[in-house]
Amino acid sequence: MALSLAFHPVNRILSSDKTNLEGEVLTVNINELRDHLLEDHRLESVDLEIVYPGDRCRVGYVFDVLEPRAKAPGDGPDFPGILGPLAPAGRGTTHVLRGAAVTVVDGGQPGGELGYASRRGGVSKVLEMSGPAAEASAYGGLAHLVVVPHAFPEVTRHAVLNSLRLASVKAAVYLARAAAGKTPSYTEVFDLDSSALEQRATAPRVSYIGQVHGHQHGTETDEHILYGGNTVGMMPVLLHPNEWLDGAVVISYSWGARGLETYFHQNHPIILDLYRLHDAGEIVLAGAVATVSSDRRDEIDRNSMMAANIAKWDLKADGVVLTKYVGGAPHTDMFETARVCEELGIKTVALVSDTALDRRWESATLMNIPGVDAVVNHSEGVDVSWPANQVERVVAGNPEVVSKLAQLRELVAVNVCGVANNQGASRLRSMLV
Amino acid sequence: MRVVHYINQFFGGLGGEEHANIPQEVRAGAVGPGRLLTQLLPDTAEVVATVICGDNYAAEHLGQVTATVLAQVTDAHADLLVAGPCFQAGRYGIAAGAVCAAVHQQLGVPSVTAMSRENPGVDLYREQVYIVDSGDDVGQMRDVLARMALLGTKLANGEDPSSPAEMGYFPKGLLRSQFVDKTAAERLTDMLLAKLRGQPYEPEVPIEIAEPAAPPLPVADLSKATVALVTDGGLVPKGNPDAIPLAFAKVWGAYNIADKEALNAEEYDVSHGGYDNRPVRTDPHRLLPVDVLRGLERDGVIGGLHPEFLSTTGNLNPINNSRRMGREMAQRLLNAGVDAVILTST
Amino acid sequence: MPVAHVTAIPSVAKSVGSTRIVLGEGIVNLLGNADLVADEERKLRREIVMRALEALTTAGVVTS
Repeated sequence: MALSLAFHPVNRILSSDKTNLEGEVLTVNINELRDHLLEDHRLESVDLEIVYPGDRCRVGYVFDVLEPRAKAPGDGPDFPGILGPLAPAGRGTTHVLRGAAVTVVDGGQPGGELGYASRRGGVSKVLEMSGPAAEASAYGGLAHLVVVPHAFPEVTRHAVLNSLRLASVKAAVYLARAAAGKTPSYTEVFDLDSSALEQRATAPRVSYIGQVHGHQHGTETDEHILYGGNTVGMMPVLLHPNEWLDGAVVISYSWGARGLETYFHQNHPIILDLYRLHDAGEIVLAGAVATVSSDRRDEIDRNSMMAANIAKWDLKADGVVLTKYVGGAPHTDMFETARVCEELGIKTVALVSDTALDRRWESATLMNIPGVDAVVNHSEGVDVSWPANQVERVVAGNPEVVSKLAQLRELVAVNVCGVANNQGASRLRSMLV
Repeated sequence: MRVVHYINQFFGGLGGEEHANIPQEVRAGAVGPGRLLTQLLPDTAEVVATVICGDNYAAEHLGQVTATVLAQVTDAHADLLVAGPCFQAGRYGIAAGAVCAAVHQQLGVPSVTAMSRENPGVDLYREQVYIVDSGDDVGQMRDVLARMALLGTKLANGEDPSSPAEMGYFPKGLLRSQFVDKTAAERLTDMLLAKLRGQPYEPEVPIEIAEPAAPPLPVADLSKATVALVTDGGLVPKGNPDAIPLAFAKVWGAYNIADKEALNAEEYDVSHGGYDNRPVRTDPHRLLPVDVLRGLERDGVIGGLHPEFLSTTGNLNPINNSRRMGREMAQRLLNAGVDAVILTST
Repeated sequence: MPVAHVTAIPSVAKSVGSTRIVLGEGIVNLLGNADLVADEERKLRREIVMRALEALTTAGVVTS
């Protein structure tokens, strides 16, 4: 399975009467895109805004961030099972607008004391485009097309979230189609079978076991996560690293807030790093396993056993990297999977997230399990903040959020999109001192 | 960089144990180990004043000694306070920890000291003060001062020191977020390669398992026992009278169920941001099995169901806060003569 | 005072030092199952409570 990513750098997005990519300038026919998104009859209106690095602009609350990508004509559907018909992702050529992003804003139900309603309402994540918070964010340096869908008031909350998801992938594909037929500035090929390096014959086999969702907050019937499925009752499955990178997975509706965006499924830092080591002959990337964090005890045990079994007996892995979905409960599934892997003789490393408010070691020790001793700790940034820049423009889903965001005096890292990340992108580490 | 140095009477050249009652005195410039420290600090650094004090005097007049050091650091416009190294000397270590803590907390001026692991000053001050592990061999003075100089310079420059292992100080037991060069993904693959190759690697969380408490004695006769229900799943009466938050709860509530055969969903609510609350809102017994326990009470299986349940929200809660609430809840149940608890956790 | 700790995440209970751990159904439905009819669900809940009571009358460290 070979995936060819054709990169087209973008440094400007301009409104125009024609959607086109000229050099590094993407022009967008805003009305055409709006009409395209409004084909979803649940939406009453859609606001579209362009924001740049350095703009004194704040955007919130962010539902998801995506990289604009589109399959080359004839190479398969985009976001199969979600947008396009079901077909394997991860093969052929995909055009990528590097430097650009589609950021979708959730206009509904903000609030609650964490910034989100008690059950997956609005999210409290903001996109900051200027100042130190923007510099610390993976998204502060990108040119964003911000999509703010407004659903009709009678549309139920889960259907609103579904309309946000559809709008996000539609906009991402619409923009990247401008690159079809253009010569990319460079191309990267992802092919596990490519060059059979000699040293790879003796290199350790490494797999990735990643949670694509967690069920602790409930899961909606229409929630697209894996090839359009909502992952309820899901057992671990083999998912080729290329499928992971190429639109088979998007984040769930909820809680974009804390370090999960589709952008980092498309640019999965762990898969990319394992590919790098594979191409250098240091490891054999032996495939990836997609799993979920369950809300049921029996499923936690079953999924952990099966994920470890796949890694051991199907992928013949010597080592695995494990990551979890956002929140506390998913640690359990991840550590249980790691424990079973270690029992089977597979060496494990796991990525945990630190949200301890009292900043004490004891609060970070809770989930430890004997034998699982290689753990990387990314901080969600509860103890990192920056003075908020005075902004000239706020892009938000409703007037209440506009006024809230305009008045912010301080930005805490946990609320800044692109700082903390559960997919391995973050440089914010929790240090034991 | 201007440095004030605190040392005891022995290292200050005023004599041994027989002179431990000497009150604090201030000398200009470096004295004793301070001279070596000056050599080990960057060229731009200077020990501008040294406070010398007898160990016994410091132990008995800690407030006065601390005030002197604070005044010196202020007057000298110092950028750093260095105390010791104290090695195993306990009174010296406690005084050094105290002056370092005071200077850092009251003046915002960084401080560093050094002690051996057994020094009582370590346990007293490690959370507040950077304490370099000196070992117990005074012969290692130069090496210890070099590490203090390195750490002190970093602190004086306003930089965050790297890990305790790398810089040689006793862990403070705290978490600190820090931007690092490598992404989590890169650190994961580095760590996995090291593990696969049998090379050393350092986990980024403390790998310690809580010692299980000794299990309390079992209930001898259940049919005579009062059983109480406690939950961290955030079940509250409608209106949430104690305003228990969705997360980071600092409060808990006690709610009367004396005359309730079962819990009526209409009368209850859930305040917990960590799980999908809908099933419990529909039927609170999914969290708090009052219905079943009432039946067992009628059948004489248990002596009785305690007339109130205790509830809080166990979501993103710091452990010390959870411990405190646990103790408070246990005390209330003890006072009420409860014999056993069923705790339900989400 | 003995405590029977009903949880769907026994590893966490263990790591915080719980000594009488009783396995519940799930995080969201700890002592129930919204998919069952009321009668069956109550039976399931009774079964978990009985395990909790048994743990309370058993000496030493228990997982049941």
